[in-house]
Amino acid sequence: MAQSIEAVTELSRPADRGERLRRFVDTFGPFITVGAILLAWELMARQQIVTPFLLPAMTTVAARIGDDLISGRLLLDVALTLYRAFAGFAIAAVVGVALGLLIARFVTVRWFFDPIVSFALPMPKIALMPIFMLWFGLFDMSKILMVAFSLSFQIVISTWSAAHSVEKELVWSARSLGASDRATLWEVVLPAALPQILTGLQVALPLALIVALVTEMIMGGGGLGDTMLQSARYVDSPGVFAGIVEIGIVGYGCIAAMGLIRKRLLAWHQESSNGGTM
Amino acid sequence: MSAPATAVPGAGAAAPGTGISISRVGYEYRPPRGRPVLALENISLDIKDREFVALLGPSGCGKSTLLYLIGGFMPLQQGSISVNGRIVTAPGPDRGIVFQSFALFPWKTVIQNILYGLEKRGLPREECRRRAQHYIDLVHLRGFEDSYPSQLSGGMKQRVAIARTLATEPGTLLMDEPFGALDSQTRTIMQDELLSIWRRSPMTVIFVTHDVREAVLLADRVAVMTARPGRIKALVDTRFSGAADSAEVVRSREYADAVDHLWTLVREEAVAAGAGGRP
Repeated sequence: MAQSIEAVTELSRPADRGERLRRFVDTFGPFITVGAILLAWELMARQQIVTPFLLPAMTTVAARIGDDLISGRLLLDVALTLYRAFAGFAIAAVVGVALGLLIARFVTVRWFFDPIVSFALPMPKIALMPIFMLWFGLFDMSKILMVAFSLSFQIVISTWSAAHSVEKELVWSARSLGASDRATLWEVVLPAALPQILTGLQVALPLALIVALVTEMIMGGGGLGDTMLQSARYVDSPGVFAGIVEIGIVGYGCIAAMGLIRKRLLAWHQESSNGGTM
Repeated sequence: MSAPATAVPGAGAAAPGTGISISRVGYEYRPPRGRPVLALENISLDIKDREFVALLGPSGCGKSTLLYLIGGFMPLQQGSISVNGRIVTAPGPDRGIVFQSFALFPWKTVIQNILYGLEKRGLPREECRRRAQHYIDLVHLRGFEDSYPSQLSGGMKQRVAIARTLATEPGTLLMDEPFGALDSQTRTIMQDELLSIWRRSPMTVIFVTHDVREAVLLADRVAVMTARPGRIKALVDTRFSGAADSAEVVRSREYADAVDHLWTLVREEAVAAGAGGRP
């Protein structure tokens, strides 16, 4: 509340030049940066500093993205990649958060899982892809499970530390108000740890896209990763660059959506009034 | 609910089965690394039903530890504690607690915070609402029912915490330096309000503080604890006859004498604690 009052007084004050510049940069800064990069790209390609094969013109790539959009290929690829990434992400989120909470709350669960998690966390999970291919085939199943497996451990760890740092007074208050051990876990520890848990999920989300893309590149079966690799095989340079831009936009969209979800879930949290990007 | 308005000070030992009985309690903190620390040693204390007792001592003397053991939040290692004839083994709604850090549920509004304990008791919705509103009025927070804790001042947060605990009508109220985080004006107001609430409701109160004046002003009896390991050093009666208004109490001769006496007792321990080489 105090913050909104501050903001109002800030606006009603006659804005000096520095203030106005700052507000301009706040609003349009990102567009200026992106515009400058695109312009530099186009100029470099037009000057033929490198061959169009190494760097196709920005407009050529944009036209390719437009074509893909009209033909419907882009939507199909994005849908496939997102389906695999989100399905795996969802499995990892449910398993990881539940396990993280249980580990934080029950010593026996911690004893059992601590060595497993400690060993698996630093390991490059993608190394298991050949085994996943043998076990689960080359279709969606193995890709989704690969994503889920890659994300689970770090979500367990971030949830564990989030639940661990919930102040004991909060838990004790709930217990003395008559909440059972189990009710305390879901009704108090989970919401109290939610801001940090969501941060962990936000860190894991880009990894879901990375793993989905890599599995598509290796196993095929459609999706942005598969299409990009096909383009490279056919020496179709604009196709590869189009893929890079497309996955970039998709990734940005995912992060922005996650930020919105966070704001909705944490309306009670002080940070929601601070207007951070994450 | 049909109770005399004030507790009777100075009456004999607690009747069997009522009040709180602490017997030969010891407690040792055992950190995963490093040496164990003896926090409490051989504590015995009987608290009568509806008595207001302050635990007073230098910081780190284990007074909060004793409170948490009465609350059942930590497993008892030595001795036994019974509340109204029942041995304490776990936390329960018969022993409400108020912390210095408020410990409100920040994702719940004021009224939702207060409703939480009521809903756990399985009362009908209408009854929950009615009671929650009653306790919101009692702590003068009408109009803030739908505010979140982050929108409230420290004093208001502590009012919510007190209302949340009182709403479940615990027989015993445990308070862990509840006013320690408040500015001195707010603290004075809250002390008065706590006294007036306690006089009207049948509750035993155990109040942890390191503020001598606060202890003398609020409590029927003050238990002075020694520096670590905590033991009961002295029990001092501090309920003065006659004076009803705390402003009047503060000006009285008896109050000044009691503060002086207790301050001497506590200062020895604070010095001892300081010499104990704590960081």
